[in-house]
Amino acid sequence: MKRDVTITINGVEYSGNIPIRMLLVDFIRDVAGLTGTHVGCTFEGQCGACTIHLNGEAVKSCLLLAVQCHGKEITTVEGLAREGALHVLQEEFHRHHALQCGYCTSGMLMNAAEFITERPDADDEEIRHALVGNICRCTGYTNIIKAISAAAKRNASV
Amino acid sequence: MYPSAIQNYEAPDSVDGAMAAIAKFGDDAHFIAGGQSLMQAIKSRIIQPETLVDLQNVDELRSLEMAQGVTIGAMVRYRDIAANAGLDGRLGALRDAASHVGDRQVRSRGTIGGSLCWNFVSACMPTVTLALDPRLTLGSEARGRREVGIRDFLGEPMETDRQEDELLISIFFPEAAGRHGSAYGKWSLLTDGLPVIGVCAAVSLDDDNKCTSARVSVGGLETGPVRFKRAEEELLGAGFDDLKSHEGAISAAAEEAEIFDDITGDAEFRRQLIRSVGLKSIVKAFERAAAAGADQ
Amino acid sequence: MTGHTGTGIGASLPRLEDLPLLLGKGKYFADLKRPGQLHVFFFRSIHAHAKIKSIDTRQAEELPGVVAVVTGEMIKDELLPLPQPSVTADLPGRKPTFWPLAVNKVIFHGEPVVAVVAEDPYVAEDALELIDVDYEPLPYVGDMEAALDPASPIVHEGWDSNQIFHIDFHSDRSESEHKDYVKRVAELIETAPHVIKQRYRVHRCGVTPMEPRGVLAEWDDTDGLMVWITSQRPHVDRYVFADVMSLPVSKVRVVAPVDQGGGFGVKAAIYREPMLITYLARKLGRPVRWLETREENLMTVGQERDQIHDLELAADENGKIIAARDMGMADAGDGCAGMYWGYNMPLVGAARFPNAFDIPFCEVQMRVAVTNKAVLSPARGLGIYPTRFALDRAIDMMARKIGMEPSDLRRKNLITELPAKLSTGITYDSGDFRKTYDRLIELADLPAFRKEQEAARKEGRYIGFGIGVGAEPSGVHSRRYIVNTGTPAYAATDVRIDHRGGVTVYYGDAPHGQSHKTVIAQIVSTELGVPPEHVTVIHGDTQSTPYSTGTVAARGASLVMSSVAVACRDLRKKMIRVFAHDHKADPDYSDYEFADGQVRHKRSDNLRSGFAELAYRIIVNSIDLPPGETGSLEQKAVFENDFGMVAFSAHGAFVEVCAKTGRVKILKYITSDDAGTVLNPQILVGQIEGGVIQGISNFLFEEYVYDENGQQLSSSLANYKIASAADVPAIDVYHDAGTYCPNTPLGARAMGEGCIGAVPGALGNAISDALQPFGVEIVETPVTPAKILRMIRG
Repeated sequence: MKRDVTITINGVEYSGNIPIRMLLVDFIRDVAGLTGTHVGCTFEGQCGACTIHLNGEAVKSCLLLAVQCHGKEITTVEGLAREGALHVLQEEFHRHHALQCGYCTSGMLMNAAEFITERPDADDEEIRHALVGNICRCTGYTNIIKAISAAAKRNASV
Repeated sequence: MYPSAIQNYEAPDSVDGAMAAIAKFGDDAHFIAGGQSLMQAIKSRIIQPETLVDLQNVDELRSLEMAQGVTIGAMVRYRDIAANAGLDGRLGALRDAASHVGDRQVRSRGTIGGSLCWNFVSACMPTVTLALDPRLTLGSEARGRREVGIRDFLGEPMETDRQEDELLISIFFPEAAGRHGSAYGKWSLLTDGLPVIGVCAAVSLDDDNKCTSARVSVGGLETGPVRFKRAEEELLGAGFDDLKSHEGAISAAAEEAEIFDDITGDAEFRRQLIRSVGLKSIVKAFERAAAAGADQ
Repeated sequence: MTGHTGTGIGASLPRLEDLPLLLGKGKYFADLKRPGQLHVFFFRSIHAHAKIKSIDTRQAEELPGVVAVVTGEMIKDELLPLPQPSVTADLPGRKPTFWPLAVNKVIFHGEPVVAVVAEDPYVAEDALELIDVDYEPLPYVGDMEAALDPASPIVHEGWDSNQIFHIDFHSDRSESEHKDYVKRVAELIETAPHVIKQRYRVHRCGVTPMEPRGVLAEWDDTDGLMVWITSQRPHVDRYVFADVMSLPVSKVRVVAPVDQGGGFGVKAAIYREPMLITYLARKLGRPVRWLETREENLMTVGQERDQIHDLELAADENGKIIAARDMGMADAGDGCAGMYWGYNMPLVGAARFPNAFDIPFCEVQMRVAVTNKAVLSPARGLGIYPTRFALDRAIDMMARKIGMEPSDLRRKNLITELPAKLSTGITYDSGDFRKTYDRLIELADLPAFRKEQEAARKEGRYIGFGIGVGAEPSGVHSRRYIVNTGTPAYAATDVRIDHRGGVTVYYGDAPHGQSHKTVIAQIVSTELGVPPEHVTVIHGDTQSTPYSTGTVAARGASLVMSSVAVACRDLRKKMIRVFAHDHKADPDYSDYEFADGQVRHKRSDNLRSGFAELAYRIIVNSIDLPPGETGSLEQKAVFENDFGMVAFSAHGAFVEVCAKTGRVKILKYITSDDAGTVLNPQILVGQIEGGVIQGISNFLFEEYVYDENGQQLSSSLANYKIASAADVPAIDVYHDAGTYCPNTPLGARAMGEGCIGAVPGALGNAISDALQPFGVEIVETPVTPAKILRMIRG
């Protein structure tokens, strides 16, 4: 029923002897103590607040078991800023007031962080389409789109 | 919310290993592919597996080969299909569907094989494959490999021909001479949601741009996806740009289809959606078939 | 109104809240942990209405890791039920008695029946599967109109009917005056040249925050009860817990976490679960935690709107409204929520029915039924969404009947003289509705649109334009709020300057996305001349903050920010008095300015001090002060207004309706808002954009669905459909046609609550306008493609 699991999160190895049924999001939050990854739905995996990167790809950590990620590398929102420098998305979210309560923000950032490297030239409609898996209840999305668009452009010009 | 207790977890790295694992643990073992549907069921405890056999490390299941037809491994993800420019024309419907299943995150995990084995009532992949008519390879430790056509594979919603100890290995679309095109479209209340109606059309054209074969499947009905034979028959002989025939074909089929009211829409609404979504899919399929000709 | 480019009032200062949230270092409820904490899961009713015959919990109790299993029978003598004085509004309505767990019978699908306490949340959920409850189903009461029929089965044992509330608004009319008034309304409607008589209905929907609810409670024999809770009202929660557990209030401390993942009203009412968690913490002597699942959230809280309005609207030949009669009805669900009791929302909606319109004679009544559904509970735009829909729709229908452009008829009937008092007794203080409205009309360029519309129709495309307006509360006032909720409306803040010139502001509300930290810092910065980074804001902790009713009802820019300004101004005066005394100067307050970290005399260059130095002088070096002065720079200020303040909005929606699929596409959405002095334009716009999208999502997508047996069919986000970014348009917000609010010290009006109000009218009118070739008038929500196609078919 239990397994030894080691997962590298943001470059740091975390290990635990954990129940097989433990969700990855619970490993991140309770075993690694990284609480920036949030849970906003029950079983349905619809809200996107728990989005992280697995092998560099944005996925929902509530729809994975921690055992499935044994030996793998993941990145959470805490790993987005590097060496004290904010990620371009974090800067643009701040500049454009793209967050209010902040609960969905981690998931938005992680999804967008992969998306803007994949599609630096995306227009607003494509950005909106890319965010289908992340619900925000506060902002009405307009400022999130502005922030991601600005970040994509900055990213592309670097 | 949380899964019920799971006793065993195996992550084999080969097809043989996967078949052996499922044979070893028996009835209460489940394969987990991308897990985007299965984990919902496990977390809501509708499914309480004793053993999970995780297929993520089986590289063979992840391959997509384009030689003498197209072979798509069961663990090929929506994301990979959507991004594969080689899946055009004849198999364009696969990309149409794969680009709009769920959301970005789901498409990075969800797989074609997982979707077919789950066979959710209104899911896109069963509808699309029903029209594209591939052959599926399954395998088990006890009985070895076998092939089955998609029509025989898909059963009632949530049921398939896959036996409990069997692994879906790949989906094979044989090579076909001539000019073919397919397209898929769906309608849901929210963007990229589970379809209220999804329609896939696959057509072939002769040198005069007349339809020589057509397959039309409709998803979103409580029966699961069905072929619209009436539409297929009416499309035969239709010109690739004969909008009136296309419209007539799908309308006639929509009219006689057995459709029921439910929470997402009444029967008349569904019929109307079949007409409008279906027409778009048919027109697009013809365009693709015609364009395939232009390349040759 | 705006134009400030610095960091003070009027600047779009990027938020001080952001950095930790962007780094994943927010401090939300779920991030809290206490050593040895236990976890609670609720076993909830699978029936909408049933007698509990027996409950078998033996197997669950035996499961390793389970610490306790409790039922309603077990707790009902150990904990007082609601209602209690802390949450008892003084309204002419009933208040059902209820405990956190069902006693005798269950009254909605999802009601808590048994609570399992375990060492591990996974195990707690395992134990739920081992509980067996034997029910005897009772008839489901699910239709508000049928529920009010005397023949209906009764929801609450011992009640003689299902009517929980009825009001016939008298304003200040005596009984006999009111009788005459009602008669006059009837005569006017009967004889009017134009009457619209229509039933309007708005479905059950709400504003589900992304973070569900949670409670963590800890008992200490000396200190008493410590509770962390997702809450908009920690001080009210404190009174409630003291009431139900029979504790002195001083033995209860409640903390709403620094960061909360949205509330929108959902976290403002008093529900069953928190009371049980606090009880269990004392009973078990260990920290006890409950974190709501989304399923529980969707099944039990945040279900709002759900009103029917039978409206008659009468106008003269020129389109001037002469009378209206609105007979409202609402479905309170089981009515079991402290403060709101399921009828506060419809009450407020009905009271504010006349909206921004001058209706000389207007009769308004509201009847509310209890049913076997989850309690109707607060959501942004509290109560008003259905009434705005009804009247704004009726106005467009009236315009069409008369042959007028709806926007002209609407303009003609806007209230032009303020202050104003409505026939329901609601008051509006100030503003210029027409000015704000005319800005929208200018932005909309209606003549150009009508041409475009005509051309589109010829191509078989159906586009439409519609307006909705809202004269919505900018804060509330105690005279009304005490009656409605049992709590006062005033805002209290405590502004404390430290000896290095830092400023800490304490207040008892619990923001959850409103950006109060930033705006408070901007106000302090402007008033005291310190940089915003030197301002710290502490909220949500009843131990350190002054009593206040909570983050609700647009109390931010109206009341909270006003009290901050008042406290700062008092502190300024004290600092000037001491400074003048020390420098033997004249302490004329208007001669001094606070800027750039300095206090200085405007005309004498040598009369200046660093703000921090002067603070040190008064706080620490507190000798030789002017006669009568004492040391310390801490000032509490209470701000309230004795008159209803108002914030007006006009929204314009352009839509295209696909006649083939019934899909509504919003092409453009414009708002013109009167926010008075705009404290932070970026934050204001963000509030409005968010509110409008919620309103749109409610209108087109979201619906709490009960089947014919009262089973809830919308308990996951897959079924309760919230708009994603791809489903909604960008919103164009304009706030350049506002008016200074003379009743707040900064001139600001608060928009957070009401900015959703104009949405249903704008959308309903736009869709109806688009579908005029089919003669379609939208009279009920949600407006789904299936319904549109049905209406087009006729």
